[in-house]
Amino acid sequence: MNRKDLIGLLKTWQVALLIILVAASIIAIYPHMDDGITTNLQYGLDLRGGTWLQMRFQAEVVGFETDRPVSEFLTELQETLDAEIYLVGDNKIEIRKFYNESELKTAFTAAGGTLTSYEQGVSRETADQVKQILEQKLNALGTRDAKVNLLTGFSGVTQYVRVELAGVGKSQAEDIVGKQGKFEIRIHTAGNETEHVLYGDTISTVGIPSQEPGKNTWGVSFTLSEAGANQFREAAIRYGGTTDPDNHWLDMILDGETVYSAPLSPDLAAKLQAGPVQQLMASTGTGQEGLSKAKNLEIHLRAGALPVEVSVAGTSTIPAPLGEHFTRMCVYAFIAAALAVGVVIFYRYREPAIVLPMVGVNLSEIVILLGIAAVIQQQLDLAAIAGLIAVLGTGIDQLVIITDEVLHEGKVPSRQLYEKRLSRAVGIIMVSAATVVIAMLPLALLPLQSLRGFAVITILGVLIGVLITRPAYGKIIAAILSK
Amino acid sequence: MGFVTYDVNRYTPRQMVVLPAILLIISLIVLGYSMATTGMPVKPGMDFSGGTAITIYTEDSPDVLKTVLSEYPIIYPIESGINNGKFLKFGLMDEATFDSLTSILDERYPDAWQFAQIDATFGQTLQQLAIYALIFSFLGMTIVVFLAFRSFVPAGAVILSAFANIAMTAAVMVIIGIELTLPTFAALLMLIGYSVDSDILLTMRVLKRQGKLEEKLSGAFRTGIIMTTTTLAAVAAMGIVAYLGNVPVIPAIASVLFIGLIFDMMNTWLTNAGIIKWYVERQESRQRKESGKKRGVK
Repeated sequence: MNRKDLIGLLKTWQVALLIILVAASIIAIYPHMDDGITTNLQYGLDLRGGTWLQMRFQAEVVGFETDRPVSEFLTELQETLDAEIYLVGDNKIEIRKFYNESELKTAFTAAGGTLTSYEQGVSRETADQVKQILEQKLNALGTRDAKVNLLTGFSGVTQYVRVELAGVGKSQAEDIVGKQGKFEIRIHTAGNETEHVLYGDTISTVGIPSQEPGKNTWGVSFTLSEAGANQFREAAIRYGGTTDPDNHWLDMILDGETVYSAPLSPDLAAKLQAGPVQQLMASTGTGQEGLSKAKNLEIHLRAGALPVEVSVAGTSTIPAPLGEHFTRMCVYAFIAAALAVGVVIFYRYREPAIVLPMVGVNLSEIVILLGIAAVIQQQLDLAAIAGLIAVLGTGIDQLVIITDEVLHEGKVPSRQLYEKRLSRAVGIIMVSAATVVIAMLPLALLPLQSLRGFAVITILGVLIGVLITRPAYGKIIAAILSK
Repeated sequence: MGFVTYDVNRYTPRQMVVLPAILLIISLIVLGYSMATTGMPVKPGMDFSGGTAITIYTEDSPDVLKTVLSEYPIIYPIESGINNGKFLKFGLMDEATFDSLTSILDERYPDAWQFAQIDATFGQTLQQLAIYALIFSFLGMTIVVFLAFRSFVPAGAVILSAFANIAMTAAVMVIIGIELTLPTFAALLMLIGYSVDSDILLTMRVLKRQGKLEEKLSGAFRTGIIMTTTTLAAVAAMGIVAYLGNVPVIPAIASVLFIGLIFDMMNTWLTNAGIIKWYVERQESRQRKESGKKRGVK
């Protein structure tokens, strides 16, 4: 190939796109020296060490039917079950305590209704809240290498939440997940002075954002233990809050930060004067803003405690040195696979002018794949690495199809015939790519943990191949053969 | 290819499909037997059945481990990998027992052990999701293949070979004792997509190219075999290196893919090629008959 041909080749959009993407990918991967070779690639727990905890919600979402007024029915149910119960849809409730199906059946019948469906887990909203709480907690710890994922079934009920923490062991991970913040309520006395009222341990339950009957302001209700209610009353009286509520604001402080501040309502002040009050409500305002403030306040009131109890359903820890070893081995496995492919291809074609571009295009595909993985922050774990090497295998397959289709009967085809053959080869490749994508799609969509990485990498690899590297290879091999 | 002496044109369609048909029947019997005795066609590994698995990287022999950990409910045998890796499974343990076990391991084998624990209910959830995934994958593949060929026999042949691949691979997993875990399950699903590509190559070449059937078949065979051998080489290399390096997950994926690709060669070049040959020959003879009739009318 002479210089002019080479420039002409580089100017075809297929080849130009390939080169641009390889360059962009190298920038995205950003390999640099920093205590060894570091890149922007995200590694999964099994490559860098850490712990994952899969936790099951101790709650259930059930359907019910009743002839009684719903609120009456629910109140009675709440009493027998001694659990928080929330309506989460038409005739669906979330019970935030674990009961098996037959226990619930009995309770429902006793309360004058029937149980129509039973599923362990929580509603989507509760699950999102749990996720938010866990994320806030992990962020507060500065562990940016933490991930929280939900496992939701087809019915929309979330059964599990999974937390991944890089670089910590099992007990440490459990501590972090279970850790609660320090919550305190203080009352303003004079000026900017405040006095202690109570700590978070006296808050026995926290409700979900709700509107008081007849009002449109949002708020979060919470109950105090008996001792807490007494402390609250004493403090309010001692500092004059009951007689002059407007000048005695209450501050809620979580881990040293004021998260809510409002005056005592005249209504509550009067009640406190008369006796201890256990049932309280902190209002946050009207409209969408009031609701979102209420949601935040609920999380703060819980002080990092989850609204639903969880039990550990699965866990795994990989020590960091082992992860490093695995990473090294993966690199070797990759090199070995690339060499093996190269040897087989060379054995078949025995022509460096064909073999080198083939292997080169094949590897560029992997570079682009890694580049995209870096950009979309797709974690690479062991399964994903296996997917990556499998992509190397399928990629070369399709280059073989193109080469053989074009080289048919060993003759160099005319330009017209070449285009025809190439499009036929592309037809074969398209169909086989579509089947791989379809076969892997369920794995990419279903919450089957580590398999997601495997599926995403495989699908991306196939797409990059079909859309970018195969067309470029078609041009390159044509230029080489027309020599 | 020097090392492949099979001639795709030497046998009749009937001869070609005999061997795979027998193997498929045997595989289905193996899977059915396993299903009847254990409730699952393939032995579920820890991901699906629950349990505690610990891998220790140590020069200590299994016997030493046995004495060190005698107080804990080890399920024997202790498997040994090639480079010091020891794989232990445990029965049910409460939190306190597990914590004491981990502290012993931390002291004796610091940073050289890893564990995973799954409870049975969670395993069942995963099992269910896996079944859905398998059904969707297979259906999706079927739809794509039918759309691509829009003709019953060729599409059916591709789908039958893909099915045979999965069934035979699963049967071998049962026989040689590879457990169904999340990674091996993913590898099985991947086979659905993987195995189809040489089938498509064969079908497209035979149906859409001009020329003699024999030439098209042997041309497709030459290309198809090189394709599968390159993939086999990549998969084998990755599996061997990962196995020698004591890396989990990858060797299991590699071995399932490897077995599946071997069957893929057979199912593509015997099952699928046999059916497509029969199909094309039948069409040609029909065309001959029809043109013969026309001539007769004249």
